[in-house]
Amino acid sequence: MELIHFLYFDPGLGAMIVQAIVAAIAGFLLFTKNLVYKIKLFFGLVKHDEDELFDDIDVKDSIVETKEKSEIK
Amino acid sequence: MKSNNRHPSSFRDPSGYIFNDEGTIKRRISPNYFKQYKALKNQNIYSKLFDLGLLIEHDELSESDSEIIILPKQIPFVTYPYEWCFNQYKEAALLTLKLQKFCLERNFLLKDASAFNVTFYNGKAVFIDTLSFDFYQENEPWRAYKQFVSHFLGPLVLAHYHGAQSLKLLSNFIDGIPTKMLASMLPFKAKFSPFLYSNIHLLAKFEDNHNEDYTGKTKAVVLTKKAQLNIINSLYDYIKRLSLKEYSEWGDYYNKTNYTDDAFLQKSKTINNWVDKIKAKQLIDVGGNDGTFVRQMDNKPELALICDIDNNAVDLNYKYVKLNGESNITPFVLDILNPSSSIGFNNKERDSFLIRIKQFAPDVTLALALIHHMSLSGNIPFKMSAEFFASFSKYLIIEFPEPNDSWVERLLSSKGEFKGHFDFYNIENFENEFMCFFNILEKKKITSTNRILYLLQKKG
Repeated sequence: MELIHFLYFDPGLGAMIVQAIVAAIAGFLLFTKNLVYKIKLFFGLVKHDEDELFDDIDVKDSIVETKEKSEIK
Repeated sequence: MKSNNRHPSSFRDPSGYIFNDEGTIKRRISPNYFKQYKALKNQNIYSKLFDLGLLIEHDELSESDSEIIILPKQIPFVTYPYEWCFNQYKEAALLTLKLQKFCLERNFLLKDASAFNVTFYNGKAVFIDTLSFDFYQENEPWRAYKQFVSHFLGPLVLAHYHGAQSLKLLSNFIDGIPTKMLASMLPFKAKFSPFLYSNIHLLAKFEDNHNEDYTGKTKAVVLTKKAQLNIINSLYDYIKRLSLKEYSEWGDYYNKTNYTDDAFLQKSKTINNWVDKIKAKQLIDVGGNDGTFVRQMDNKPELALICDIDNNAVDLNYKYVKLNGESNITPFVLDILNPSSSIGFNNKERDSFLIRIKQFAPDVTLALALIHHMSLSGNIPFKMSAEFFASFSKYLIIEFPEPNDSWVERLLSSKGEFKGHFDFYNIENFENEFMCFFNILEKKKITSTNRILYLLQKKG
């Protein structure tokens, strides 16, 4: 695979190596966040902010699926 | 059609470039990107992203062995990262992460994460670089990670600690804030946040340690997709929750005005009538705060650009745009005393505000409660203000607060002994000097205030 598209800017060797550590810490943070969320959910402490400006990172599957189905037809 | 008329900003990526074909922006794709382009097209990645509104739509115009030409949807006015308010900047960052995750799940990726790949159109952030996608290679780290930190995470975190002015840094650092500098600008306590320490301090340290021994071979570094997704998800979580510490200076401007509700209605009705009279479809409201006067219009403009110097006012405007689902308003941050200049190679990569606004050519410019700030805070002579407005607007609706207006008095009294220098600030001088460039079509004093509205038409 030619890497020409990738190499038009320097990704930084340090930035490539450090990602293993960043990912490990991120994994730990996400794990604890989920745990806290589940505990809060169990005690009914979760509040939903209806005024939230931004949605979640995952695109709404329904939109993608509807599109995929209509393409099959 | 001449596809060799390459746009001066489009030279970094060898996959293709955008060019200007008699005023229409088109994109040429080079043969070395055909494989990627066809895969993205055939696997419906592009069409899904269009449906989701995440990527600017395009049509394929022609295909040959040497080039493919596509026509992207034309964006009437492009705003740059250093003109976004805090929440716009956040939305652009989240969009980039969302796209990267979407791609990874389909074995593609974003090969770069420049903030200039995003702009605002139809009331929301949209990705405009159609050729930023590539194939994901198993266990490869995210090559655009450092770029994401220096273009997005860095400015946002700095804004969180030091205020929204930090978002303007990209006007100087077109390739993003250097990681070492970024780490040095964070307060000491940021080191105790595992997220900030790993994403910024550690990144800067590793970059510093390895900047000498770069051999062009980074393939040896391995990171699983799961691990990369952890980075993406945690960046998304953090940025989504990030907020500004400062509270609004102008945010509740309309509760601080020195005139009554009746005067407000009269002012907005007059503006409304004049905008209708000249059949204005596209406009710019300079110093438009949170967009109140544009929202009062009976006939909604096709596109209204609303800029203000104050991040919080623009942020408020942007929140209204999001919550009301308004697609015809583009808010942005602009200091009229120092509008964005042209930057980058040849000073042509990113156009100045003046170049862009002249191309946009608004039917009318609104300058409400602005001239006293330009004249008394900025010391700009009326003639220079008039020349500035005449350079891009056929019609101008301008409000003149008279010298006995309480806000003008306040500005004048802050001048102390220098006050006498501002004797020029009166209605005769204003009219005379503006008439060098404009004709007065209408003039209306707003009753029970010391303010006068003018509808002016450019001469010639």
